Amino acid sequence: MSVTTNAQSATDWSNAFAEASNSDPEIQAHGKYFTCSYLLDMTEHTFVVRMVSGKVAEIAVDPGPLDMGYQFIVRASAETWREFGTETPAPMYHGIWAATFQRDMQLEGDVLVLMQNLRTFTRQIELLRTVGVPV
Amino acid sequence: MSHISAVTGHYVSLDVDGTEYKVFYLENGSGQPLVCQHTAGCHNHQYRGLLEDEEITQNYRVIAYDLPRHGKSDPPENEQWWKEEYKLTADHFTKFIVAFCDALELENPIFMGSSFGGNVALQLAWRYPDRFAGVIPVEGADYSPGFYLDWWQHPHANAAQVCASGVWDLMAPQSPDQDRWKTWFYYTQGSESFKGDLYFYSVDHDLRDELGEIDGARCPVVMLTGEYDYLTTPEDGQRTASQIKNAEFIEMKKIGHFPMSENHEVFRGYLLQALEKLNSRAGRGLT
Repeated sequence: MSVTTNAQSATDWSNAFAEASNSDPEIQAHGKYFTCSYLLDMTEHTFVVRMVSGKVAEIAVDPGPLDMGYQFIVRASAETWREFGTETPAPMYHGIWAATFQRDMQLEGDVLVLMQNLRTFTRQIELLRTVGVPV
Repeated sequence: MSHISAVTGHYVSLDVDGTEYKVFYLENGSGQPLVCQHTAGCHNHQYRGLLEDEEITQNYRVIAYDLPRHGKSDPPENEQWWKEEYKLTADHFTKFIVAFCDALELENPIFMGSSFGGNVALQLAWRYPDRFAGVIPVEGADYSPGFYLDWWQHPHANAAQVCASGVWDLMAPQSPDQDRWKTWFYYTQGSESFKGDLYFYSVDHDLRDELGEIDGARCPVVMLTGEYDYLTTPEDGQRTASQIKNAEFIEMKKIGHFPMSENHEVFRGYLLQALEKLNSRAGRGLT
């Protein structure tokens, strides 16, 4: 899968991200208990990803304020997400810990749920290196 | 095809302020001792590449130990350690390293450590400048707050995966998958020691007011930091080295916080530079 451009629509991106996640060998091998919902805030777009047993059950694109519940949030500027969405990210844009410690990313909400799913979530975010980002 | 490595393992018993330890170490090579400290919550397999590096082991006796409570080095032999929370201090850590070098009767050893090992290398240069021929602090800094976290041992999360995936981003995306995953795997094994190690790394270690007392002429200091290290960044390493008399700093490209473990092939080039600098300081070149 090639890196997509910023011109892709948010809906197209959500479909590509779901497909990449649902066909990823690592997530599928270790995602039996990967069941949670989280908000990706990319400033220009927001997404609520609902995971059930390692599969993307639903991605809500730019949901309204109370449309969807979620347990934790990963929030950053569009610029930071654009750096994530490259094949080989520059230093400090190569993961949520790096960008949280050194850039403008914030981890909010029930961070325990993030920690409980850290292995598979870390892999899922790395899919942005091939799927790209819609901002 | 089968092959038996030249690396050997041994145990040595020693005493640190009345605490008895039985310490496991791997070694290979001959020449000046190069004593290697693994990172927090890990063990000496991080140096698997260096231990079998023919060029370096021709000139150096590479010794990589497991700090007590890590790998094959058990917790204290003569204490009910399970009744206390493990919190590693700079005082005990440095005394242990000196006791280990004394137990092996090492002369003019070079000490190298990464992460909390890099920080303790700075502590050794400050506290025991005459015991070491030089130190190579890797991914070290004068002060590194922020990683003494409850998440490493939270009872509602899988500590093995939190520790291992929590340090995943400390490695560079360019490092080989095989080596990054080995490092990840090591980190699934050490959650009980990891947090206590980080007490030293992020709390007890603070040399911000002492760097000026370290004399790089007396105990040469060459610092190495990878550009993908988000905890002790190249800026932190540069700042630290700039305040130590006669210290040098080298930024390592395309590598992170576990350089010897995540990509030995890239790391060895920088290590050879550091060893050359230490040897030129000591008035002798590489053989």
